[in-house]
Amino acid sequence: MSIFELHEVNAGYRDVPVLRDLGLTVSDGEFVSVIGPNGAGKSTLVKTLSGDVRPSSGTVLFKGRRLRDYRARVLARELSVVHQAAEALAPFTVYEFIRLGRFPHQDSFVLESDRDREMIARAAETTGVAGLLSRRLTELSGGELQLARIAHALAQNSSVILLDEPVSHLDIQHAVMIMDILWKLNREGATVVTVLHDINIASDYSTRIVGLREGGVFFSGAPAEVLRYDLVEALFGTSCIVLKNPTTGRPFVYPVPGYVQKEGGVT
Amino acid sequence: MKTYCKILLLLAAGLVLVAASLSLGTRFIPPWDLAGIITGEPGSVDYTILVKLRLPRVLLAIVIGGALAVSGTVFQAVLKNPLADPYIIGVSGGAALGATAAIVTGAAPGIVAAAAFAGSIAVITIVYLFSKRMRVGSSALILSGIALGFILSAAVLLIYALSRSDQIHRAMLWLMGDLSGARYDMLNLLGCVSLALILAVMAYWKHLDVISMGDRFSRGLGVTDRDVRVLFWAASLLAALSVSLAGVIGFVGLIVPHMMRSVFGPGHLRLVPASAVCGGLFLLVSDTIGRSLTPPFEIPVGVITGFLGGAFFLVFMVRGRWAA
Repeated sequence: MSIFELHEVNAGYRDVPVLRDLGLTVSDGEFVSVIGPNGAGKSTLVKTLSGDVRPSSGTVLFKGRRLRDYRARVLARELSVVHQAAEALAPFTVYEFIRLGRFPHQDSFVLESDRDREMIARAAETTGVAGLLSRRLTELSGGELQLARIAHALAQNSSVILLDEPVSHLDIQHAVMIMDILWKLNREGATVVTVLHDINIASDYSTRIVGLREGGVFFSGAPAEVLRYDLVEALFGTSCIVLKNPTTGRPFVYPVPGYVQKEGGVT
Repeated sequence: MKTYCKILLLLAAGLVLVAASLSLGTRFIPPWDLAGIITGEPGSVDYTILVKLRLPRVLLAIVIGGALAVSGTVFQAVLKNPLADPYIIGVSGGAALGATAAIVTGAAPGIVAAAAFAGSIAVITIVYLFSKRMRVGSSALILSGIALGFILSAAVLLIYALSRSDQIHRAMLWLMGDLSGARYDMLNLLGCVSLALILAVMAYWKHLDVISMGDRFSRGLGVTDRDVRVLFWAASLLAALSVSLAGVIGFVGLIVPHMMRSVFGPGHLRLVPASAVCGGLFLLVSDTIGRSLTPPFEIPVGVITGFLGGAFFLVFMVRGRWAA
């Protein structure tokens, strides 16, 4: 079954088109990483998949139905979204914040059901924030906050999780922790779609990598197929060498210092 | 401190303040005599003062203060702006224009209230129509409310320019906020409607929690535009009702939610009822001070809330207990 199906999607802001005739299909159980240069449309793609940006033309299907036909609450039970760093931070405790993830499943007048408590405990366990539950969001480090946001998304108990640069500003310990959690979720059956800045993290964890360029899909395939030096060079416009990560056996991309490509070739 | 201790403390403070407010005024009635007088002979002077004058005024202060504080709490969450208050979308401007027009034409108090209410409803409707084009919560919406406010106060000034000075004085006293017109019949209506609106807001406490975390966040969890509109209307109507019955009373709707947030945290399950109670008590204290300080003259309650609220605000910020 396909989770997302995009056909000839055009989307953007006011008069600036960002996605141009984009076509993409994500199947159940995939771990898809979206990479590409700044301005290629990665965040717009995430917002289109989450329903925050409405395409000006083309269709976006989620589990076979048009995304815009979903009731918001129903969609929230099937799709969790972790946007780039939170817009506002009300000083909720970590527990209260994770509980907000239960919102799409709750009635107005029940504080929390046994099921809610169970799901919150499990989300906290999976992400390792069980020791932070009484801390306030405003007191957390960047890494802890990101773990709490993942826990919040897990409490939604959806089968699809969509993330926009979940590890961009984190130290390598937290980056690996978060990617390991996503990898484990994927192994347990969740479909993961995430924008990543780091090509090598994408290489190590993904079942498929989608390279986005100028609002369209430039390449799409397993890391070993698409992370070739010529494709990566063409995508990012910088020279690189591709070796193999000795621990995972996946491609490992080294940029070559001093060789940024100008229009039409290597300088 | 445990939450239920805080709630008990708040309610105990409430009882003490209500008793104090009934005792104080131009004529002092000892608090220990209150129960005896109210249950006793209806004919006595003390009975008339207590039951006919002070009690409705105390109740009106509590209802108006509670309505303003809840309205402010909702606007701060929905507009995601810590400086939002019940008048942010221009409700007070509309009410002021309606009331001023009625006062300078010599209308009866009931007509003044009705005109003020009509003015504020007109403003809410205009802003609501704007919000179909601009998202509720966007700064464009706030700014259009402020722009509307400028136009309305210009219109009020125009009316002043064309009126006699005694009429202007009456209109300005109304603008400062005044609870002296309290009567039971207005309380019945206001009390029931306000309570219904506050309960409606309470039913949305989870929505408010989610909304206060941001637009994309709340949409992703399934909060719809309709939910936001319900809250917008409830908060606007609370503001409109209180402003048309008691004039423009500032600061209650701004500082009480902030103070309660620093005591009870950001969760609206506790924040909304705590704001309702504390807003009511804050206005009660302000009004009691206003009518007891310089008898037999009364200082308009809006002046007292301005002084008290401003001072509280500064102390809060300087002591660093600010939890935005």
